[in-house]
Parts: sequence; C-alpha cells; structure tokens
Amino acid sequence: MSNEILPVATPTQVRAHARHLLLRRHPRALLGALALHALAAAAGLVAPRLLGDLVEGVRRGDVEIDAVALAITGFLIAQGVLVRYAYDASARVGERILAELREEFVERVLALPLSRVERAGTGDLVSRTSRDVDALSETVRRAVPDILVSSVMIVLTLGALVLTGPLVALPCLVGVPLLWGAMRWYLRRAAPGYLREMAAWGALTGGLAETVHGARTVEALGLAERRLRRCDRDIARSYRAERYTLRLRTVIFPVVDIAFALPIVATLLIGGLLHIHGMASLAQVTAATLYVHQVIGPVDLVLTRLDELQLGGAALARLLGVGNVPRDRSPGDARPAGERLAARDVHYAYRDGRDVLHGVDLDLRPGERLAVVGPSGAGKSTLGRLLAGVDEPRVGTVTVGEGAGAVRLVDLPLDELRGRVALVTQDHHVFHGTVRDNLLLARPATDEEAEAALRAVDWDGPGLDTVVGSGGEPLSPAQAQQLALARLILADPHTLVLDEATSLLDPRAARRLERSLAAVLDGRAVVAIAHRLHTAHDADRVAVVENGRVIELGTHDELIAAGGSYAALWSSWHGDKQPSP
Amino acid sequence: MKRLPVPDPGVPDGRSPTRYLIWTARAQWRAVLAGALLDVGWTACQALMLAAIGKAVDEGVAERDASALAAWSAVVLALGGGVAATGVLRHRTLVLGWLSAAYRTVQIVTRQAVRLGGTLPRRTAAGEVVSVGVTDVEHIGDALEILGRAVGATTAIGLVTGLMWAASPRLGLVVLIGVPVILAAAGPLLRPLREREQRHRELVGELNSRAADLVAGLRVLRGIGGEALFADRYREESQRVRRAGVAAATAASRLRGAEVLLPGLLVALVTWAGARAAASGAISVGDLVACYGYAVFLITPLKTVGEAAGTLTRGHVAAGRVVRLLRLEPEPPDTGTVVPDGPAELVDAASGLVVRPGRVTAIAASDPRDAQAIADRLGRHADGEVAYGGVPLRDVAGVRERIVVALNEDRLFSGTLRDALTPGFRPVDDAALHAALRTACAEDVAAATGLDARVAEAGREFSGGQLQRLRLARALAADPEVLVLVEPTSAVDAHTEARIADRLGAARAGRTTVVCTTSPLMLDRADHVAFVVNGAVVAEGRHRDLLLSEPRYAAAVTRGEDSP
Repeated sequence: MSNEILPVATPTQVRAHARHLLLRRHPRALLGALALHALAAAAGLVAPRLLGDLVEGVRRGDVEIDAVALAITGFLIAQGVLVRYAYDASARVGERILAELREEFVERVLALPLSRVERAGTGDLVSRTSRDVDALSETVRRAVPDILVSSVMIVLTLGALVLTGPLVALPCLVGVPLLWGAMRWYLRRAAPGYLREMAAWGALTGGLAETVHGARTVEALGLAERRLRRCDRDIARSYRAERYTLRLRTVIFPVVDIAFALPIVATLLIGGLLHIHGMASLAQVTAATLYVHQVIGPVDLVLTRLDELQLGGAALARLLGVGNVPRDRSPGDARPAGERLAARDVHYAYRDGRDVLHGVDLDLRPGERLAVVGPSGAGKSTLGRLLAGVDEPRVGTVTVGEGAGAVRLVDLPLDELRGRVALVTQDHHVFHGTVRDNLLLARPATDEEAEAALRAVDWDGPGLDTVVGSGGEPLSPAQAQQLALARLILADPHTLVLDEATSLLDPRAARRLERSLAAVLDGRAVVAIAHRLHTAHDADRVAVVENGRVIELGTHDELIAAGGSYAALWSSWHGDKQPSP
Repeated sequence: MKRLPVPDPGVPDGRSPTRYLIWTARAQWRAVLAGALLDVGWTACQALMLAAIGKAVDEGVAERDASALAAWSAVVLALGGGVAATGVLRHRTLVLGWLSAAYRTVQIVTRQAVRLGGTLPRRTAAGEVVSVGVTDVEHIGDALEILGRAVGATTAIGLVTGLMWAASPRLGLVVLIGVPVILAAAGPLLRPLREREQRHRELVGELNSRAADLVAGLRVLRGIGGEALFADRYREESQRVRRAGVAAATAASRLRGAEVLLPGLLVALVTWAGARAAASGAISVGDLVACYGYAVFLITPLKTVGEAAGTLTRGHVAAGRVVRLLRLEPEPPDTGTVVPDGPAELVDAASGLVVRPGRVTAIAASDPRDAQAIADRLGRHADGEVAYGGVPLRDVAGVRERIVVALNEDRLFSGTLRDALTPGFRPVDDAALHAALRTACAEDVAAATGLDARVAEAGREFSGGQLQRLRLARALAADPEVLVLVEPTSAVDAHTEARIADRLGAARAGRTTVVCTTSPLMLDRADHVAFVVNGAVVAEGRHRDLLLSEPRYAAAVTRGEDSP
C-alpha cells in the first residue's frame, strides 16, 4: 500500500534519448522530411515577394500582370503539394519513433521485478502505460512536427526578410525581448499547471467510472449523496486547476499578441521612413511588412507547442524511468540436474527491516503433494512466490536439482525456469485475445496440443478462436481458472505452486475445477497453498505456516495426532461429523 | 468569475440529442453569445489591422507622407491592442463555456447513475456509460465551443467579403463565389480523415487496453511465463497502430495541402484580378495589398467553418448517448410509505423462507444462484412477494436503509480507507469502525495502513481475501436492521473464516442477519439454517441436525471431502 513510485528518468537521460532517437536512428528520414518542409516554406515565401514586385510594377505600369499572377499561382500550387508530402513524411518518422518508444517501454515493463511493481502499486504503472504514452503520442504527433516545421519556416522567412533588405529587416526584432521574457515566465509555470489539470480531469472521469461500475453498491449502501458530493468536489478541483492555467494564458496571450503587433508596426513605420528618405524601395517595405506578418503564424505555433513539448518530455521521463529499476535476476549458464525443490533458511521482507518470513526450510520431494495452510498474512503466498522463483529471498536460497546439480531459481533464465517450476494464483486474469493466445503464452504449440490441453481440464468454454478477456466473450471465474490450468499442461513443469487457485469460486465450480486440477497435478510435485482443508487432507504432507515460520510439518494423520494448531482447525471445520473415507 | 460546479445542474431536456444540446446551450446562453461576439470582435480587429496596413502603405509609404504613415501605424498598433484584448477575453469565454458544458454533463450523468443504482448495470454496459464520462463530455464541450466560434467565423467571412466588395465589387464577387467553392472542395477530404482518425483512435484504445491488460496480468505472466510472446504480440499491435497513424496522417496531410492550395488559388485569383484593377486605376495599390491580406486572412475562418460540421456531428452523437442514459428509469421503484417497527420478521413467499428477527439465519443453496435471487428479493433489489413485519416490502419506506444486501461484486470506492469503509446512511465513528473491522477479521489490513491511507480505485491494491474482509466490515458498519451477506467468506482461509463466524453473531446481536453460504464453518455457527433446492426451502434446522437428517444437505456443504 505504500506509494513508492517507480523511478523517473533524469532530464539528461531524456535529452540523450530524444537526441539518439532523432539523430541516430532515423537521420535520413528526418532530414528528408525537413528538406520537404524547407522547400514548401520557400515556395510559400515567393508569393509575398512577387506581390511586392507586382505592387511596385503596377505603380510604374511596366509589369506583366498575367505572368506574375501565373508565377504566384505556380508557387502556391507547389507549396500545397510540398506541404502535403512534407507532413506525410514527418508523420511517418513520428509514428515510427512513437512505436519504438512504446514497444521499448513495454519490454521494460515486462522485465520489471514483480515485487517492485507491487510496492509501487499498479496504479503508477497503469497511468504510465496509458496517460504518459498518450501524452507522448500527442507531443510526437503534433508538437514535434509543428515545432520543426515552424522553425524551418521562421528561419527561411527571416532569411527572405534579410534578403529583401537588411535595413527593413531590423525593426522586426523589437518584439523579441518581450516574447523571451514572457515565455520564460510562462514555461516555468505551465508544465506543473497542465499536469495538475490533467490529473484533476483524470480524477473526475475516474470518479464517474467508479460511480458507474459501483452503481449497485451505491444504491445498496446509501452512498448516493456521497458520490454526488465527490463528483462536485472533483469538478471543483478540476475547475481550480483549469483556472490556474487559464490565468497563465490570460497573462501570456495579450503579451504575445502585443509582441506580434510591435514588429509589424515597427517595420511599417521604420521601413516607411526609410522609403521616404530614399533608403528603401516601396517593394522592399511592402514585402518586409508582409513577411513579418507571415512569420507570426509559425512563431505563434512554436510558442503554443512549447508547453506540450514540456509535457511530452515529462511523459518520456516517466516511460524511460521504468528502465532505471535494477533487474532482480542475473541468469547464468548452469542448468539443474534433478527435480528436487529446496528452500534453505529463507528470509524475505517487502520493506526493509520487516521480515515476513523468518528462516523457512522446506524440501519438496519429486512428485510429492505438499499442502501449506495457515492464517491470512502468515506468509504463505510469499513462500509460494519464493518457491516458484518469482522473487529472490533476502537471505537463504531456493534451489532446484539434486546435490551438486542444484541451481538457484533466480539464476535460471525465465523460460528455463517456467519449464521447471510454475505458479498459479487466485488471480485468474484472462488476457485479451483468443483462447489460443491465452494458452500459447506458456509455449508455442500446435492446435492439436492446445485442444488436448483444454480437454484435459474438462473445458466447456468457447473455441480456440473466440476472443476473450476484457471486451471479449465473458468467461466464468471457473473457466478462467481452467484456462490457467490448461496453460500449465502446455508449459509442463515438473513442479507446481498453487496459491489458493480454487478460491473465489462458488462451491459447484470449485468441484468441477478440482476434477480438472487432478489432470494437471498428475505426475508433478505440487505445493498447494489452500484454505479449503480438504486439500490438506488429501495431500502427502501438510505444512502449517504461522507468523512467517513453518510451525508444523507432517502427514495429515501425524498432525491430527500431534494435537496442535492444525488438529484444532480440522475439528472446527468438521464439527461432530465423521470424516468420510 | 464564474463559480463551478453549479450547485444544481437542473433538469435536462432528454427528449432528443439536439434538444439536449440546445438545453445545454440555453443553460449558458450568455457564455455562448459572448463567445460569438468576442470572436467577431477578434476577427474584425485582425481584418481591420490588414486594412490599416494597406492604408499605411498607400497613404504613408507610397505617398511619402510621414504624418499619414505615423497616424496609420498608430491605428495598426491600436488594432493590435484590440486583437490582444478581444483575443484573451474570447479565449476565456470559450474555455469557461466548454468547462461549464462538460461539468454540467458530468453532473447530470453522475446524478442519473446514482438514481438508477442497481438498474444501471442491468440495463446498459458500464463501458458505454464510462465513455460518456470520458469522451462524450469533451465532445459536448467542443460542440458548444464551436457554436460560438462558427458564428464568429461566418461573420468574419461576411465582413471580409464586404470590405473587398467596398474596394472592388469584382473582387468581392471572386471571394463570394470562391469561399463556397473552397468549402465544397475541401469537404470530401474531411470524411476520410475523420474515419481514419477514428480507426486510429480505436486501435490506440485497444493497444492501451492491451498494455493495461499486461499490467493487470503481470503476476500471471510471472507465474507461467509468456513475456516474450506478449512482447511480440504487443509489437504487432503497435505496428498496426503505427500504420493506422500513418494512414490518418496521410489523410491529414492531404487536407493540410488543400488548406494551403485552395485558399492559395483564391489568393492568386484575388491578386491577379486586384493587380489588373490597380493597373487600370479602379483600385489603389494599397487596396491591392489589403485585398491580398484579406484573402490570406480568410484561411482561418474557412477552417473553422469546415471544422464546425464535424464537431457538431460528434457532439450530437455524444448527446445521443447521454439522452439514452437519461431515458432509463430505476426498477423496482422505491415508493413505499409504511414505517413498520424493525427488526421484524421477513418472509419470502417464493421460496417459503422465513427470517426471524434478531437471529443469524443461513441460507445454504445447492445452486448459489438461488441464494442470490432470494437475497435480491429480500433487499428489494428485485421485485418479489416479500413481507416485512407483515407489510409488503414494496410499501415499506426506506427499504435500503433497513435492509442491506452485501455482495462480493460490491465495490470499494477510492478515498481514505475510513471513507471507503463508511456506509452512507449515518455517520460512523472510529470505535464502531474498529469494531466492524474486528468482526470481519480485517484489523490487520487497516492496521498495516491506518484509516487515513489512500485506497486506490476498486481497492485494487488489496488481495481478494483482504477486499472481501473490508467489504464485510463496511456492511457491518452500516448496522442495518437486516443484513444480508452473500458468500461473505469465500475468499478467506479457514482460520480466518472460523474467527469471522464466531464473531458475527455477537456483533449482530439484536438485529437480523442472513448469510448465504455453503461453508460448514459459517453454517455451524448460524442460529438457523434453511436449505434451498430449486429455489425453495426444503429443510430447516441447525447445521449439525441437517447434516444427519438431510443427505442432500450433507452432500452440498461438505463436498470437498468426498472428492479425490
């Protein structure tokens, strides 16, 4: 429940990565797109120039109006066509970069140590996979191309302006100091403001989603008033966040508008005076004024996209940050000989200084069924995860193999590990995809093998090609669990850890499932963490875990005879009824 | 400054999507009108700025008249100030209008959702309603925003046409004909763009849910493997998104090109006609410069008008979903007025179940769906012939407060743990909350975090067993006359279940408790057990007696021990 969020990449890392993506990986495509944009911008700059000539020519009365108009038309058509291909080209680069970023992110997530994810809470990761990926996508699709394109246009327009006449080009600089100062003020405040705004909007829609999903609960427990209050409170918070950024824009917009008007007036006035004193032609003044007017659009676009660029940078930092989590396993080359699973003096802590397991020793004989029972919070599930190699013990070892052929589970590559030891929990998540997709997560297999695995678990659900999981055909909890078991048959590990695999099911479903389970367990060593005591009764041995220690270990009959914790529970479960044979 | 949220969003007009949009617009007509007026003012200032530049070139620069140049430059600057002032006011008005339309819709949808309660999931898919909250709210906001801007843009086009007409009727005519031609020519480009963007958005949504799926199933993947396969599949889908993104971008780039080309042709035409007019002396050189500027200036309002149709259509579709939700009515309706003394005897005619007041009654059903159906009727979540103290339940006032039915499907809401555990009927102090937590054996969960810790949405940080115990604690804290619990301990271990069973009776002393369960640990502690087969009570008594007297009962509740 702690909120120890996953790391965030440093600004240096983000900048290095962005540079690497743009300059190293796609230099040619990027250059091509920029060249097209430059050509388009250049074509766009000819029209005002020609108009200047036209104005001058009309005054003098020595101009081929039709020819110049035709030339203007020609350049505008060229500009239109070039713009079309330039945007297409830059979108292609952008989409490719975006795909690479999200794919690399998912690879990083897949390699994350599970314990680290759980400590951070899945909320952090979910918001990175959705909100940050989306924010980055917005940036790459809109802000980056707009800024690149506008920069090209600004440079070219200013170049054209200087070519028109260095003297008439100078006055346009009067707006720069004002813009510079205002933007510095704004950008320092904008990113946190917009992040707050998005978070508040997310909370608002999230609250609505909760009310909708929990509508029955709201009715049953009289929570309507409270949900309405929560809604209004979320709106108020969102409104506060919106008002803050609106205030920022209320300051920046007029300043920028004035900063845009000043250069026009300055060019007009100073250029006009230069003309009056014979230092500039009418064409020069006209063209310069139009260029200055024309450069406002791209400058404005760059300025409005700068805050989006900031937000994209923040999102990228959070996506890259996932890669900063140290790996929890370092697979070696050693492969185990034999199937014996052994835990030696195992300690584990989710938080420093708070061990939940205090020196557990356990030997699982090949083919043996061991039931683990004990109260909630005793450390059963933690033990299960260590025995399956999901987490590494803080102290002590969990190994597979006999004698000198024993190898620590965390030293095995993941795919090697899963061929030997697998863990199934009560967390019966069905992945979105076909039934086949869900099965083949274990290993690649033919349809015949997949069908056989389904038959083995007594599958009564839809066929291999049916889409299941969120948005697909709904599966009952029992079917979800059957699917998980069929997956196990395909993976074919010699040792299984079942963590309350049949809980959360109604009794009828559980009974069906136990039959499926029998097919899966056949011939494997099993650690069954259970709260149904009959599982313990049927096991070869029972381990009772309390307060992070194994306090009783033996067969059902031995433990009953010992008269300890297990025996007391068993009699409570049974009442006076005689156990059936 | 406007105060949001409004305390009462009012009664929406849900007769049709259009009426809903009109109702929303009318609720904030001042903002819509002000937005339109400011938009007109803003565009007018920009257009007049161009006109003033033309005059400055004409009368100042060309005539070498420094004082006229200074005067017109001052006018340009003043109009620049006008652009700044109207621009910021316009922006504020549009943003506030957008927000109040969106917030109002959120309020209305939330009010309708809590009014419908349990009817909502029965009558509509949750996803549909949530999408109202996420995307439709924004589309409705967009529709109201574009309304103001479209009015402004149309006025601006009219104004520019008029200005050009004043300079030269022929130029005015060129624009008058050119504008509809451009809109008609760009129109066909909009549809494929919107379709491809829609397709891209859908694929992005799927890809995002694939990634969320990954996070939710990370534990499963770690147990069984499949990381590499998952990565491959994600990459495949990501590439599909990339291709759809490129396809949408290609359509967008065509529109971008057309947005340069089509008004560009108009600009060229205006320039050509203007230059000839200037050469023949019909207009001045300054007019020519201004007309060029006007034609360029037309591009923005043209884009807005082009956008408006699509935005209004999307707003209409969004309003349609809101209206469909508004048409739903809660069922069964809560209209009772009789106030019986509680806790009283509760009788379900359909199953023959009689629940005595003040005791713990267990319902053991051979099919859990039967128990669920009885629970729904007892709490009047479904209609049925149920009497409470001799009064038909449909006539009883405040059934929800008297009879609470707690299911495993119930949700924990985000907020502090204290809030998440507090039911809505009456205030609950910490002592009562701790007592409920103790009965539900959930003290360890609360102790680990404290009552002020934040609970994530749906309590997803908790394990299944922890969630179940927290839900039980919340139901106990409601302390109703009658508490109906459906499979309240199915996800907890035997040790804990035994403890809960022991504590439940004492905690509910003097009040009625019904537990639907097949767990022998729970049944053993109940005052009375009713065994239900095919929806009817076939045997009643104490657990231990029923075990001996009713073989079907024994088979149903001790199933595990007979299986291999």
